[in-house]
Amino acid sequence: MKCIFKNKRISSIVAVAPSQEFRFDDEYQYFKMTEPQAKRFKKIMGLDRHRIAPPDVCASDLCLYGVQQLLDAGVLKKEEISAVLFISQTPDYILPPTSNVIHGKLGLGHDVICLDINQGCAGYLAGLQLAFMLLELPAVSKVLLLTGDTGSKQMTRENRINYPINGDAGAATVVERSADEKTIFMDVKNDGSRYKALIIPGGAYRMPSSPETLKLREVEEGVVKCLEHVDMDGAAVFNFTMDDIPPQIEAVLAYSGETRDSIAHFFLHQPNPFIVTQMTQKMKIPPAKVPNNVVSLYGNCSSTTIPLNIALNCREPMLAETRRVCLSGFGVGLTWISAVMDLGPLDFCKIVDYKPA
Amino acid sequence: MNFTFRRKRISGVLVVLPENERSFIEDMKNFNFPEARSLKLKEVMGFDKRRVVEPGVCVSDLAVFGLQHLFEQDLLKREEIDALLLVTQTADHFMPATSSLIQGRLGLKHDMLCLDINQACAGFVIGLIQAFMLLEQESVNKVVLVNADVLSRKASPKDRNIYPLIGDGAAITIIERDHEDTMIHASVKMDGSRAEALMIPAGGLRMPSTPETALLEDVGDNNLRAKDHVFMDGSAIFNFVQTEVPPLIEKLLARAGVSSAEVDYYLCHQPNRFMLEKLADKMKVPYARMPNNVVEHFGNNGSVTIPTVMAYNLRERLQREQLQVCLAAFGGGLAWSAMLLKLGKLAFNKIIEYN
Amino acid sequence: MDKLEFYQRLAEILDVEEVKPESVLKEFDVWDSLAILSVLAMTDAKYGVSVKAEEIRSVVTAEDLARLVETKQK
Repeated sequence: MKCIFKNKRISSIVAVAPSQEFRFDDEYQYFKMTEPQAKRFKKIMGLDRHRIAPPDVCASDLCLYGVQQLLDAGVLKKEEISAVLFISQTPDYILPPTSNVIHGKLGLGHDVICLDINQGCAGYLAGLQLAFMLLELPAVSKVLLLTGDTGSKQMTRENRINYPINGDAGAATVVERSADEKTIFMDVKNDGSRYKALIIPGGAYRMPSSPETLKLREVEEGVVKCLEHVDMDGAAVFNFTMDDIPPQIEAVLAYSGETRDSIAHFFLHQPNPFIVTQMTQKMKIPPAKVPNNVVSLYGNCSSTTIPLNIALNCREPMLAETRRVCLSGFGVGLTWISAVMDLGPLDFCKIVDYKPA
Repeated sequence: MNFTFRRKRISGVLVVLPENERSFIEDMKNFNFPEARSLKLKEVMGFDKRRVVEPGVCVSDLAVFGLQHLFEQDLLKREEIDALLLVTQTADHFMPATSSLIQGRLGLKHDMLCLDINQACAGFVIGLIQAFMLLEQESVNKVVLVNADVLSRKASPKDRNIYPLIGDGAAITIIERDHEDTMIHASVKMDGSRAEALMIPAGGLRMPSTPETALLEDVGDNNLRAKDHVFMDGSAIFNFVQTEVPPLIEKLLARAGVSSAEVDYYLCHQPNRFMLEKLADKMKVPYARMPNNVVEHFGNNGSVTIPTVMAYNLRERLQREQLQVCLAAFGGGLAWSAMLLKLGKLAFNKIIEYN
Repeated sequence: MDKLEFYQRLAEILDVEEVKPESVLKEFDVWDSLAILSVLAMTDAKYGVSVKAEEIRSVVTAEDLARLVETKQK
């Protein structure tokens, strides 16, 4: 599905990471890996360290902390917030929507629309699409797009496939109108027939929570999980990233009339450094344009990976000038969404550690 | 927050209700209340029968069943679906999104949007707003809005506040462009500070489900409920509806320049008959123009009640003529919303049973 | 397709001296999800073919894999 938007901009980005950092070298003992195995894994995948939230910290806490940074910095006022979008697969509750809980904690007025969207790694793009659509409505002035996940709570530490790559994080992005007409081009695709590639089988209504769904089993060497934990078919995800994403990026480049040369940065979702390297090579994009260090420093932060990527790798330029960028989010669903748009100059662009008072 | 939309219309409504019916008389046996008192509650609130799913039936099952029916009856073509919006509080999984599952099961095209929105009883109006926004995009011609919930599975049989009124179901609404310059006015308000009036404490990440959260607790009003169960503060919700909904509708009508007399029907979310009678009294609307019989026949099926009102009470009329209706959807969040629009003639407007 | 070169590439991924056509892939120490990913990446990058997750799970020997890649190339 193709979309076009005009006169919209991202004005601020803040990414929030738990302050607890863990290194692969200290953790591989939990994965039943020998030292040579661990070395090989670390090297091929490109891992180093990641951030994991403490047990009592939820994604919404990280997002709220980010919002406070924006309020304190004076780049956002509470009265300006017309919509609160919470994009997550790790909500506080199944009822009420977490965006409403956040609305209550911020003490916002009643004339605010709150929406919880269930999306994973394509979530930043899905959220942007919704924000841009809301901003077509005269009553909407600023949209607070919150992405956040504490994926660590949907796996055990004794899981060599998912745990070392996972990063917990949240981000708050402000989206508003812009005088500048430069068009935003977006392409959205979905394929639910491949839903098994990334799934949590139990805990919701298909397979309700029970002692059985909570029982931990070692399903293969170094992978302990229960039915309420993430199940990932790594090979199927790899196929997806190599077969489906490059054509979409080509399509959105063509749609927008841009080329690899005219795009300054490709901010791709980062499942892991290995995959991003393969994708970059396949698409023949100069690696300098495709930052690939989020996972080795913070972990794969689901829909927060893209805003964190921008704040980590492009902070100074984004505060100073406008650049034409390509964003691409892809993952669970399977869902893949890519966009070409102008980014910057931003009023705020930062990564902060979560340090509640 | 006020919205105005132009050139959009609802073209068809299909409601899918489980075949399985429970009666208040059966449910009453589980309550810790003397029978006479329970019967009094039944009479006053307007409880009688409700439809609930069999164990294991999920939202995607109801949605797929309904959409397949539309395909078979040639009321909808697969390729025409540009966006599938699913408004639910009872998703099949934490991930992936249930709208993706539905898309996969039906073999719909890849070039489309699938979106799961977590919304409660305000979900029909919120979903419509979402659909109208999508239709502004040139590439989007037809949106399928699915409202669906299987909340009965989270109601404690020993909670008289909730158990006898919850129903399950799904509604499939087709929304597309309108050649006529029709105007739709809507208004939405939210208040998260009162979010705890309608909630399920456990099951999310704040308090994950464990064997402990499944244990029934004496919550002090003769009802027993687990942290895994849905909790509703009945009097808080009643006050909320009486206080917030009438002014919202009044301002909406004023903005649209339409008087209450010109509204053919008020199609409201149906918490129960009692609340709707009181709302109608407050707004000085005769009961005939504010149908309130969904709960006694089918139960309160969340954001599906408004389409159920349409398909049950106005089945023929909405297929034959165009009516000016005011929708009012309110509940969990807390959220309250209203929409004034011309509705009909619908290509289809019916209830089918899921088996 | 130069099969010798293919087996050499496989050997590098599997961290062994040599891979024979009849070698059973699952029997290599290092045949895990990481090895599978590396193989999928190699067949895409060097041979321009996309081997699907189900396909790689169903091949038994190195020669099966080589034949699969060769067929896909045509």
